[in-house]
Amino acid sequence: MSANHPIRNSLQLAWHFYQQQKHHSSQRVLRWVQGILLVFIVTLSQTSASIQAYLSHNLANLLGADLVLSQPLALSASQQAELAAMSQQIVLSQSLTTTLTHNGQWQRATLKAVAEDYPLQGELRTATSQGGQDSVSTQGPAVGEIWLDSRLLAALGLRIGESLSIGSHRLQVSRILLHEPDRLMEGHNVEMRALLHRQDLQQFRATDDIIQHRYLFAANTSQIATILQWQKAHLPAAQVHHKHGAHPLALFWQRTENFIGLASILLFFMAAIAMQQLTRAQLQQQQFFSAVCLSLGAAKKTVLRISMLQWLFGLLWLLPQVLAISALCHWLLLQWLQAQAFVQPGVAGSFANLAWQPDIVLAVKTIVASASIFFVLNFPLWLALWQCSVRQLIQQQQRSISNAVLFGCATLVLAGVAAHYSDNGLLTTMLLGSMLASIALLLVLSWLALSLGEKLSQPFSGLLPFALYMMKQRLISKTTQILGIGLAAFLLLFTLMLLKDLGDNMAAHQRTHDGNVLVSQASSAQMADIQLWAAQHAITLRQHKPFMYAQLTHINGGQLADVMQKPSDSLATLSRPVRLHWSEALPGNNRLVSGQWWHSADTNWQQLSVEQEVMTDLGLQLGDRLGLVIAEQYVEFSIAATHAYQSGAGAITFWLQMPPGALLHIEAPQYNMASLELQPEQFSLLSQLWQQHPSLRMVSLQELTQRFDSSLAMVTQLISGFAGLIILLAGVVMVSSVHAVETKEQKKNSIILSFGLSKRTCLQLNIIEWLVTGTIAACGAIVATWLAGFLIYQSQFSLPYHPDIGWLLGTLTVILSLVTGLGVVLSKNSLSGSVRQLLAE
Amino acid sequence: MPLSALSTIALTHVSQTFRHLEHQVQLFQKLSLSIEQGQSYAITGPSGSGKSSLLMLMAGLEQPTTGQVAYLQQGRSLPLTQLRQDIGFIFQQFHLLPELTALHNVALPLKLRGEQGAEAKAKAWLEKVGLGHRLNHKPQQLSGGEQQRVAIARALVFQPKFIFADEPTGNLDSKSAVDVADLLFACCQQNGAALVMVTHSPQLAARAQQVFAFNNGNCALLEKAQLEVQSVC
Repeated sequence: MSANHPIRNSLQLAWHFYQQQKHHSSQRVLRWVQGILLVFIVTLSQTSASIQAYLSHNLANLLGADLVLSQPLALSASQQAELAAMSQQIVLSQSLTTTLTHNGQWQRATLKAVAEDYPLQGELRTATSQGGQDSVSTQGPAVGEIWLDSRLLAALGLRIGESLSIGSHRLQVSRILLHEPDRLMEGHNVEMRALLHRQDLQQFRATDDIIQHRYLFAANTSQIATILQWQKAHLPAAQVHHKHGAHPLALFWQRTENFIGLASILLFFMAAIAMQQLTRAQLQQQQFFSAVCLSLGAAKKTVLRISMLQWLFGLLWLLPQVLAISALCHWLLLQWLQAQAFVQPGVAGSFANLAWQPDIVLAVKTIVASASIFFVLNFPLWLALWQCSVRQLIQQQQRSISNAVLFGCATLVLAGVAAHYSDNGLLTTMLLGSMLASIALLLVLSWLALSLGEKLSQPFSGLLPFALYMMKQRLISKTTQILGIGLAAFLLLFTLMLLKDLGDNMAAHQRTHDGNVLVSQASSAQMADIQLWAAQHAITLRQHKPFMYAQLTHINGGQLADVMQKPSDSLATLSRPVRLHWSEALPGNNRLVSGQWWHSADTNWQQLSVEQEVMTDLGLQLGDRLGLVIAEQYVEFSIAATHAYQSGAGAITFWLQMPPGALLHIEAPQYNMASLELQPEQFSLLSQLWQQHPSLRMVSLQELTQRFDSSLAMVTQLISGFAGLIILLAGVVMVSSVHAVETKEQKKNSIILSFGLSKRTCLQLNIIEWLVTGTIAACGAIVATWLAGFLIYQSQFSLPYHPDIGWLLGTLTVILSLVTGLGVVLSKNSLSGSVRQLLAE
Repeated sequence: MPLSALSTIALTHVSQTFRHLEHQVQLFQKLSLSIEQGQSYAITGPSGSGKSSLLMLMAGLEQPTTGQVAYLQQGRSLPLTQLRQDIGFIFQQFHLLPELTALHNVALPLKLRGEQGAEAKAKAWLEKVGLGHRLNHKPQQLSGGEQQRVAIARALVFQPKFIFADEPTGNLDSKSAVDVADLLFACCQQNGAALVMVTHSPQLAARAQQVFAFNNGNCALLEKAQLEVQSVC
């Protein structure tokens, strides 16, 4: 090696060895592991970036205004005057969720009422017939007219020109509503839609507080800043969106990316297992090469540099393929999201115009980050090379890799991935906790099964005792193999079975415990009528709980937006008004987690009990102060207790609860939630109730399960795609684990042949080993799935979990057959050992 | 054991060739010899002369290019699959399974055959080869000589009729080599097994009753008693 050009020489040598070893099976498997992970991470980041780019573009174009302020109540005259002075123009739209009825059919829909000044910005598009020509309307419907979206028109069996009764008022359906320029704010809303004149809304006799008031502002940048300042001081509970702010869905998608990213820890864990196995398989060859180089006078760092460059060449060779496949996956995912936008506009946030635009800089950043991860996972191999010496050539002993180093590197990678994607302590803990629990379970199960199996079969002779004995002797490598297969099986089972069971059980349970109609918001007058109506028709009223709306604006004196930076489910919900319940005693379907529930004699009314998950998500503690705006009145409460849901007394529960004494100090509209049990023939009676109270928020179990099923279907599709990756990686883990012990296995089989036994015996032994591996992995996966199901049902829904035994046994058989079949095929090389090979050594 | 009950491996006019880089390489041709149970044989010759191939043919593990290998018992010809059950191997590199203790290595062939009392028999054999005190030691805890003793015990524990040994002392120091050779010959004799060794050591070869010597593609039987060379080709 010339001393003048050490780098060039190293590069040449590394390239030479890379070319030589490129087609070795262990290098091929390594490329698969790295390739799968790179494709996953690059696709995830690119898709997420596309969505975020779309959302910011969407925000600028679909706000229908420069700034939108929305709140349940109308602005007072003075507030309106102040705001008018700060802006160029203000346009009001009012919306109300209601149930429309026509010819005995009913459909829940959101009505939006506007005047002649609407739209402020953007295009209002309509058509005069179903599938007819799309035209731009300069203003909304005239008084006495209503425009329905095509789904609503079909659901009510209406045609253009017909009349629709709302309360006692009749409106003529004159156009089909295609697009409202200010729909962004309702991006999550799955309701069907209708547009009418503001004057007609008054016919509803709806109280002002159930109508959402939305003010669209035309304002320049400095005016926007002034209005924002004003809103913070005067209307902290109002929701504000402006052209330069964040999209309301941005946090949701950030959270989705984080969730998938966190779930990818499992992929990284499997990759770590596979790479650890491959490292073991490559070690001997690499150490031999290093020892030969060292014996020829090369420096250790040269040897190490060659090995690293060789690894780098492998990675670089992968990149064109990874980028091409990721681009394709990225495109497919966007197509899928667009398709979902048409099926479920609410869930996907209406991504009809999502554009495929790869972000090269982001791709490079992602690849560099992933390469660092692979570097850490490969580090144990380089450490072993650093410790290698010429002595190895003399003593024919290879220096093994310390398990502590392997474990440390894997932990470092997993912790890094978790830290990067973690946005919420509770979710991270739950996800990692469940993964760790399943890993621990599989480890314990492997150890127990192999140790007990070996112990019990010790007095016996034959293939099974021998197989068990050998597996016990190779406990670490076998356990790793079982872990890889078991985790993959666990995730698949969890995905497919739990989601299926969840849907079935939820529907059945709701039917049994909570009736089949849920009243989600009824005023006192509406509730009184419901009670009367129920009594008249012998309908059972199962639950009935009062509440008022409250908007969380401050935590310990600080504004919510300033205090809470990280997205969470709780925060997303708390950014809108939530239901605040009051109760003298702890409700039957709640249990006290910490703190003290108030006594009837307690004079302190400014105390709250907060649901446990909200406490964790927002990082709250007993004694913290929460500032709530209730009907424009700011009230500060201190957290006195934490509660959690428990089953047995109905499903209606509240995040925030206060002592009834507070009602004396708070003046706000009061509502009720209730559940009813109707006989099938009584469902037709519901239209009476809706006719009487169109603004009554009531939903049937059938509608609820339909909504649940469509969300579930989307989640299932998404997770199934993820599960596909897991299967692929599980296959790679199996291949790498076979590779890791291939030499040993081949030798073992050759020795068995030297005892005069046949190749058939070796095959039988191999089948037994894979059967045992598959059985332990499948049992572990099934137990882990059952445990996860049990815990999720218990903690989230407080339901007993009854898995389908037939399904479980069927799954066990499928996993066993797949693992054994694939295992035997992969072990072809190990089974090709011969006595001649032993003679040749 | 009556002579008629002894088994024989008979090679008749066997030739072995293989192709290497478009060239036909002939190891030996028209070789006829027989291996009698209870006798000892040595195969000598330079590296690459075909010693290992001959061993494989004798053990019925490979087919000759031409000629026949027969397994005879009481004058009857038995299938070669039967021969494979009656053979044991000892290797230069010992080839003990590193995960197993000495006891389990020796018990291995018995356990795989489903025999009862495998460990008791294995223990007895280890005591016979002088390793009664090393039962629970793993191969890496044993010296080369000790590992080869374990390998001898393992090869003989299931009482094969033929033992094939490939350079059994090639990896040992001279003292260990002598001890292992003594043990090997004694055990085979006590067990009534034929011993076929491939070796480069003239001393070891000299202890065999018959020696087949390979040289330049020819194989010769050295009759030690008469000290004359008879061609077997």
